[in-house]
Amino acid sequence: MEFLFEQLANWRFYLIGAYPNGPLTGLVLNIVLAVLSIVIGLFFGILFGLGRTSCRGYLRHPCGLYVDVIRSTPLLLILFWFYFFLPVVGAKMPLFWCAVISLSVYASAYQAEIVRAGILTVPLGQMEAALSTGMTRYQAVKLIILPQAFKKMLPSFVSFFNSLFKSTSIVYIVGIVDLTRTGVIISQRQPNRIYAAYICMAMGFWISCYLLSLASQWLEKRLGILDYESYKPEICRQDLVLLPLPKTVKRLLVSHK
Amino acid sequence: MKFLNLRYDFDWGIPFREPYVGWLITGVELTFLIAAVTTVLSLLAGTVLAVLRTTRFKFLNIPAKIYVETVRNIPGLFWLLFFYFIFPQMLPFGLTDVLNRYTYYSVVAGILGLTVDNSAYVSDIVRTGLLSVPRGRIEAAVSTGLNRFQQIRYIILPDAFRAILPPLGTRMIHNFKNSSLCMAIAAPELTWATQQVESITFRGLEVTLLATAFYIGISLFLAILMIRLERFLKIDVTSMTQMRN
Repeated sequence: MEFLFEQLANWRFYLIGAYPNGPLTGLVLNIVLAVLSIVIGLFFGILFGLGRTSCRGYLRHPCGLYVDVIRSTPLLLILFWFYFFLPVVGAKMPLFWCAVISLSVYASAYQAEIVRAGILTVPLGQMEAALSTGMTRYQAVKLIILPQAFKKMLPSFVSFFNSLFKSTSIVYIVGIVDLTRTGVIISQRQPNRIYAAYICMAMGFWISCYLLSLASQWLEKRLGILDYESYKPEICRQDLVLLPLPKTVKRLLVSHK
Repeated sequence: MKFLNLRYDFDWGIPFREPYVGWLITGVELTFLIAAVTTVLSLLAGTVLAVLRTTRFKFLNIPAKIYVETVRNIPGLFWLLFFYFIFPQMLPFGLTDVLNRYTYYSVVAGILGLTVDNSAYVSDIVRTGLLSVPRGRIEAAVSTGLNRFQQIRYIILPDAFRAILPPLGTRMIHNFKNSSLCMAIAAPELTWATQQVESITFRGLEVTLLATAFYIGISLFLAILMIRLERFLKIDVTSMTQMRN
């Protein structure tokens, strides 16, 4: 147990490594990777998602192919592709940017799916109404469709960010010193503290992911996405109406999972 | 290929030459083995966990919830490393020795780690399925005199699994792709074999290309299979009522 406290006193190494005097490593590197790749991935994800919902075949099919291919390739292999293929084409890049590019390619495919699902939830009448008020298609998508779709997409984005954050631990395999590698390095350097090092590694991921999942639950409640009443079968609500109960009790019964 | 100015000349003989082709075939076999075993094990474990999570008994409910919350918030790679490096140390000494001497322990550790990781996600999916079964079904099952186990086995689970087949299929494809993570603990599966070829011949591109094509092909095949299965298992309510009439 005292080994664990000793490791926890060493929190700086797990969080940022030797950052001001050396390269940034540890948990903050994971967060930086995840944030950078989700922002870049969001940009391309919106493009591909709009492309997938386009009515023009020459846009829809290539975007669909891209999304399907990336989604069915393991992230590790995407990482290897950018790690090995970029030098072959002649582009030399630091390892960090290889990881960012491959994570963004991975994220863009998944986010394209989220964007597509969000756009499909917007009723078709909205687009028709926008067009009939004299907007161009670009204006209609930018001012009418996307703002409505984004509200629906936000919780999925947060939960995808959670899973992407966990996926960033994969960069351990190509030798970037993230939190996983930090834990492994410490466990190899001090074999008698192996449990403490692994517990610290797990705790770093657990706390940040748990905070993220709390945030996504809060968002879902705030935006009113999880409307349990509307998911109930019709017959339950009718039964409840007939029951001789006070209104507050009925409301409790309905909103209960 | 001159216009790309590649600093690489492809040699497609490499993946089909003698020592390498053997590694790749072993890799494909092990990938299938790991994916299949983890799918079955995590389905079983996930279903049990989901049933535990929906029961009212706090003794069963809370440990299952703790397990799922713990596993879901920690990356899968951690569980692989845990089962490879830490788990043998936690056992009594004789067992540690046996496990460390076993050549394919990395494969076992990979299967254990992926199962632990995947079962939490599967249990979450199954749980939403269980909650989506209408209350009236369960009441009908009770009134026909089925006991609690029979209700779960014959009424709730079949209904729930039909409802959750699409997300479950996605999760299993994800699990199949995740089997490539086992190379972190040197389980000789396909991705590991490609890296081995790369590190010996410095010609990794051909093999990586083949491996990528393999993963894409199998994932798309599984996706199509899941859609077929969904259609096969679907109960067409309208046609049934017509038949009865």
